[in-house]
Amino acid sequence: MRKIAIYGKGGIGKSTTTQNTVAGLSEMGRKVMVVGCDPKADSTRLLLGGLAQRSVLDTLRIEGEDVELDDVRADGFAESKCVESGGPEPGVGCAGRGIITSINLLEQLGAYDDSEQLDYVFYDVLGDVVCGGFAMPIREGKAEEIYIVASGEMMAMYAANNICKGVQKFANTGKVRVGGIICNSRNVDNEYELIDHFARELGTQMIHFVPRDNDVQRAEINKKTVIEWNPACNQAEEYRRLAMAIEANESFVIPKPMETDRLEELLLEHGLLAA
Amino acid sequence: MALADTARVAAPTPVRSVSTTNACRMCMPLGASLALAGFEGTVPFLHGSQGCATYIRRYLISHFREPMDIASSSIAESSTVFGGESALVDGIANVARVYRPAMIGVATTCLTETIGEDVGGALARIDGCRPEPADPAADGSVSPTGAAPALVHVSTPAYAGTHVDGYQAAVAATVGALAEPGAPTEQVVVLPGLVSPADLRHLREVVDGFGLSHLLVPDISDRLDAGVAEEYQRLPPGGTPLAEAAAACRARAAVTLGGLVSPGTALAGELLEDRFGVAHHRLALPIGIRLTDALVETLEGLGGTAPHWLDAERGRLVDAYVDGHKYLAERTAVLFGDEDLVLGLAVWLAEIGVTPAACVTGGRSGRLAAELVRLAPELDGRVTVVDDGDFAEVEELVRALSPDLLVGHSRGYPLSRALDVPLVRVGLPIHDRVGAARTRHLGYRGTQELFDRVTNALIERRQDESAVGYAYM
Repeated sequence: MRKIAIYGKGGIGKSTTTQNTVAGLSEMGRKVMVVGCDPKADSTRLLLGGLAQRSVLDTLRIEGEDVELDDVRADGFAESKCVESGGPEPGVGCAGRGIITSINLLEQLGAYDDSEQLDYVFYDVLGDVVCGGFAMPIREGKAEEIYIVASGEMMAMYAANNICKGVQKFANTGKVRVGGIICNSRNVDNEYELIDHFARELGTQMIHFVPRDNDVQRAEINKKTVIEWNPACNQAEEYRRLAMAIEANESFVIPKPMETDRLEELLLEHGLLAA
Repeated sequence: MALADTARVAAPTPVRSVSTTNACRMCMPLGASLALAGFEGTVPFLHGSQGCATYIRRYLISHFREPMDIASSSIAESSTVFGGESALVDGIANVARVYRPAMIGVATTCLTETIGEDVGGALARIDGCRPEPADPAADGSVSPTGAAPALVHVSTPAYAGTHVDGYQAAVAATVGALAEPGAPTEQVVVLPGLVSPADLRHLREVVDGFGLSHLLVPDISDRLDAGVAEEYQRLPPGGTPLAEAAAACRARAAVTLGGLVSPGTALAGELLEDRFGVAHHRLALPIGIRLTDALVETLEGLGGTAPHWLDAERGRLVDAYVDGHKYLAERTAVLFGDEDLVLGLAVWLAEIGVTPAACVTGGRSGRLAAELVRLAPELDGRVTVVDDGDFAEVEELVRALSPDLLVGHSRGYPLSRALDVPLVRVGLPIHDRVGAARTRHLGYRGTQELFDRVTNALIERRQDESAVGYAYM
């Protein structure tokens, strides 16, 4: 079973990219489980056709300790397995601890057991790795491959670089590695070259360049992944390519995060910053 | 660590290890619980996991050897994730029903501070939906007087300070929350700091002796050093009455004894001065002639007249100094404990000819070294001061300095035993002797008792070391 976590700046399109990629892998016949690690619990909406699921933590709160796997796991598009960790309402409690509680519970319930015959588990973790709880999937070896979603926008690259710092720290004591940067295009000038260079500088690769296409929004409005909404469209093909690239990926590295100065130099080289 | 005297000290500088081994301090909620227990009809309540309350209760019970109830919101995993407000609300309702207290003092813990609990907001929301006090008999959630308990909140994350910080923060929070401005009173508010019940009783006697109307805030002397009750009382009597604490803001003066706290912790005396214009005097704990004289002068300045018996006690203490000098001259001691007590003890020991060669505290005020030299200039360059210290550092210093004596609480016993240096037990915690609550440290009288104990410890050591069994020392 390959254990994958998707990180990236808030709003960059992690959940959308994750679900569309999972749809691609599921369509290929892979058995995939998605674990949403965001208190908003919106990581599986497209696979499930809506916010149709009770989160692990809500279930735990309402049912007490007596929880079964089927209470917290729902089948989504192409037999993908969908779980939402959930968490407190904004401004109270400790969402980070919620992630830890919820993943521990999934383990106890056997969600990762060999009998489940999973090919992939995907963790979709909220925006910034703000505290230890959000680093738990990579710290405890729950995830071993990290893909970082970024775009050619400066703040997205700052965030990606910062996430590499976290991965680097835990990589030295565990098995976690970076598998690549997924460029979710924002139509920034020279974006392909910039992210390609950025990824190589980090010691990894741009695993796929996902072009910007309004079909993504159209599918989202219909609560579907692009592959389910319009399997024949060009964007569906892009997500299939991303899924295949991940399937075939053999490059797993300890990243080399940059100093801020170097990152800004890189932006200058590619003409993003006004000199 | 701040080695304030490094430049002037001949003694080797302890090397700070990366970790702390037996810190010279206890936690903020412990101090807060103790302070809250010094208000009448008050239940200390810790918002956090169960263990905090259990540990602190055990710690204080075995020091004072009195019952000490501390309530807890018993935060569990789900309250940690989703927020602990409902646990806090339930806990307060239960305590109100079971104890019928006049006040519930809510102190936070590391866990609830770290997850950012909005305790002030939660208490305000509880305040907003209190039961009507009209029918106290029908509703268990009101005190015998018919009023719902006052709710006070103090922020005490243990990693932010020491037990003394927690104590002072709780006193300030309570005085601030209860304050009812109005016509000025003639009272002198005495803010005694973390001292023993015997010290508190003696302080009362002294200020009484000056003919000054006064109030101790808080006052644990009855509750944590009580007689045998006919039957078990859930909420023991004693403590500063809340109505009087509410009038503290109208007092004509406030006197803080001690008050070395970490930056960011306000003293109740400062709050009274800043918010209500009460004249505030801050003195070191009155131990020894010099520091007790300073208290006497302050009380005289407030219009009091020293009683004759106090003069007599001072005279006897000076005489004892003379009598004991041959046993004490040129001896050295290593001190550890909280900053206020260590400061008072060090200034006093200097006075009787014993050099406090090293003073290690868990405190983080950063002011101890300067205060020490200000109050006992003869110590300049002769003391190693370690702030935020631990017993690994105490041990290193004891090995390097070979002092004649250790002065501190009972957590220094393993060191005393291992290095064969006698320990005179003072302060908190004393877990290996009886009488902690009855130990006096303050005033001429308290100093006299300390003097006899310190001198006798040195005599006893000399006597024991001698090959001859001298009965005459």
